[in-house]
Amino acid sequence: MCATLVAEPAEAPPVAPTSAPEPAVRVHGLNHYYGEGEARNQVLFGNSIEIPAGQLVVMTGPSGAGKTTLLTLIGALRSAHEGKIGVLGRDLSRLGGAELVEVRREIGFIFQMHNLFDALSAYENVKMAAQLGDAAPAEMRRRCTGILERLGLGHRIDYKPRFLSGGERQRVAIGRALVNHPRLVLADEPTAALDKDSTMNVINLLKQQTVEHGAAVMMVTHDHRIIDSADRLVHMVDGRIMSDVVLHDALRICEFLRPIDLFKALTPRQLTDVAEKMTKRHFAAGETIIREGEPGEEFFLISDGEVEVIRADREVARMGPGDFFGEVALISGEPRNATIVAEGEADTYVLGKTDFQTALATSQSFRDQLYRVYFMRH
Amino acid sequence: MLAGIARPGSVPLAWRNLVSNKSRLLRSAGGIGFAVLLMLMQLGFEQAFFESALAVIRGLDGDILLQSAHKYQFATRDPFPRADLEKARDVAGVASARALYADWFDFFWKNPIDGKIFLVRAFGFDPAAPVFSYADVNAERDKLKEPNTVLVDRRARRFLGMDSAATEAELNGTKVKIVGGFALGPDFQSDGTVIMSDRTFASLLHGPAGDPAAVDLGVIKVRDGNDPAAVQQSLRKALPGTIAVFTKPELIEFERNFQAAVSSAGPIFAMGTIVGFVVGMLISYQVTYTDLSDQLPQYATLKAMGYRTGYLLRVVFEQAAFNALAGWVPALLLSLLLYYVIGRLALLPLHMSAHVTLVSLGLTLGMCLISAAIAVRRVITADPAEVF
Repeated sequence: MCATLVAEPAEAPPVAPTSAPEPAVRVHGLNHYYGEGEARNQVLFGNSIEIPAGQLVVMTGPSGAGKTTLLTLIGALRSAHEGKIGVLGRDLSRLGGAELVEVRREIGFIFQMHNLFDALSAYENVKMAAQLGDAAPAEMRRRCTGILERLGLGHRIDYKPRFLSGGERQRVAIGRALVNHPRLVLADEPTAALDKDSTMNVINLLKQQTVEHGAAVMMVTHDHRIIDSADRLVHMVDGRIMSDVVLHDALRICEFLRPIDLFKALTPRQLTDVAEKMTKRHFAAGETIIREGEPGEEFFLISDGEVEVIRADREVARMGPGDFFGEVALISGEPRNATIVAEGEADTYVLGKTDFQTALATSQSFRDQLYRVYFMRH
Repeated sequence: MLAGIARPGSVPLAWRNLVSNKSRLLRSAGGIGFAVLLMLMQLGFEQAFFESALAVIRGLDGDILLQSAHKYQFATRDPFPRADLEKARDVAGVASARALYADWFDFFWKNPIDGKIFLVRAFGFDPAAPVFSYADVNAERDKLKEPNTVLVDRRARRFLGMDSAATEAELNGTKVKIVGGFALGPDFQSDGTVIMSDRTFASLLHGPAGDPAAVDLGVIKVRDGNDPAAVQQSLRKALPGTIAVFTKPELIEFERNFQAAVSSAGPIFAMGTIVGFVVGMLISYQVTYTDLSDQLPQYATLKAMGYRTGYLLRVVFEQAAFNALAGWVPALLLSLLLYYVIGRLALLPLHMSAHVTLVSLGLTLGMCLISAAIAVRRVITADPAEVF
């Protein structure tokens, strides 16, 4: 995969424009522990993450990394020990038991085990969730039937779980989670028991929830078939979010970087390593991005908008999406040789000095390319 | 609001849980039904015990009954002076005051067929002043005017030979002529009953027991238009404190209380019912606990989905109630058969009454709901986070 990754550091509060809509999930500085007294064991360490509506987020990481614990905390199934969790616009730490139940009704849970009632048919199992909503009986029936048909179970609506295969049961459980069109879906290995076709069917359904209903989907999985469909990848290790990658940005950045000579020599893996360290940063119209004479600390790639390049108080150039700047000072160690100002609203991807130099040391060809660019600009 | 519980057309989870597994339903209904049957038999026996013990009092044709104030049980001899009964006749509102002589321990009946001798219960009254409401007795009472004639209980235990066609038998060594019969039946104290005139009664008993001046029960009829309670008050004023004055329902209640609280029989039957209840509770607890344990992840999932604990409690209690009914109905039907068979064999008034039906249903629901209340803690403490 050629992916330039846009990451928000786990420890830092997320950056969002003030005008941005309320994210479906907003976690900040989350610590969590299991056990009491001397047996107390910290399992989550200062995690922060924001998930906007309409995004399908895949969480990966080794067993015991804290993925499921994070899901249960976001799902209002546990109480956070330290830090803040906001779900669908509500601060969970301020809610009582009854209000937490209300929040849970707006979340679709898909568990690794289907946990269907053996005594109920597929239709009735789904209806158990549907009847929590406000839909009229006819609408409820239409929704339950519709979601089961959408999941390829139209011919098994009246079957009890013991007459369904493992994959079919799991699909019923998925139908149960999605029947009320929840604004947030939390799923733990939802496709572990599914074959390829069923998996793609489920993924398409989840994507449909994000596109048509604006649902945010947060899914723990090791299934690569799903990872390819994700909007964003979050990787956790030892209770920490180690990387947080928005994949559609990454693809866009890939498209930007590929034609540039500077990056042509990088292997996809090296390109990914560089991009993993990049964060997204927004600038308002007229805001100065770098200033001539100041020390160089960051490398910039323009995502959206245009910037002016000013030397000695005179505009010398304009740059737009796909252009980059700031690399000269990082290579030479000299102060910035120009001021860059956002002409309108502008979004950039930013790489820190240390990461830039690490990437430089990694690839001889990359270094050569950079030096060539450096001398061209001088 | 308890989500999803009051909506029409919502999934009947408790019912589905009950009927989805037929063999499990059969096992639980069998277990609970067994305990219910134990209770039904105890309740039936207790009812038969009371009914048989009270049958004679119920069969007395009087509004107010007099007996010695020291008499603690109907089936004991504690006579009072006949003169006191005479006084009662003079009280305003009294239409008649008649004497009943009764004995449980001094009449020995010789089976006319095999000659074996048994203790029987005997009642004596003036044939001109009837005290019983039994139609058979009243129809034949004139025949009792002849000395040494008796009416015998055709529903007495068979070994007494009272249901035979014999026309003569022996009572306390004296030949008596059987001039008719009536249908009373035995109770837990007496195997059979003979009824005779007061003269025959006195002649067959020797010594103080046969003293016609000592009456066992005074049977008072209130004159039409008079309030029995007011007449009762007047009698209490007119009679000495050694005489207890009961209305008929009061004497029935007095006797019932003795049997239920003082005699050993009442507590024995109650204990039998309690044992059945406890056994049923244990079985019901096991049924409910196993079911909840099997479905704990499902209940935890419901919690995660947003169902409140109240809904889960309702499902569990509803299912416990269904389990109770599933055990109670077959046990009730089986008990009807057993009542019939045992009633015929033991000649006891064993029958299904509304009282036994309702009490057994209440106890069955109680035992299942209590055990569900204990077992449901497992669901209450189920952690939805654990299902992830």
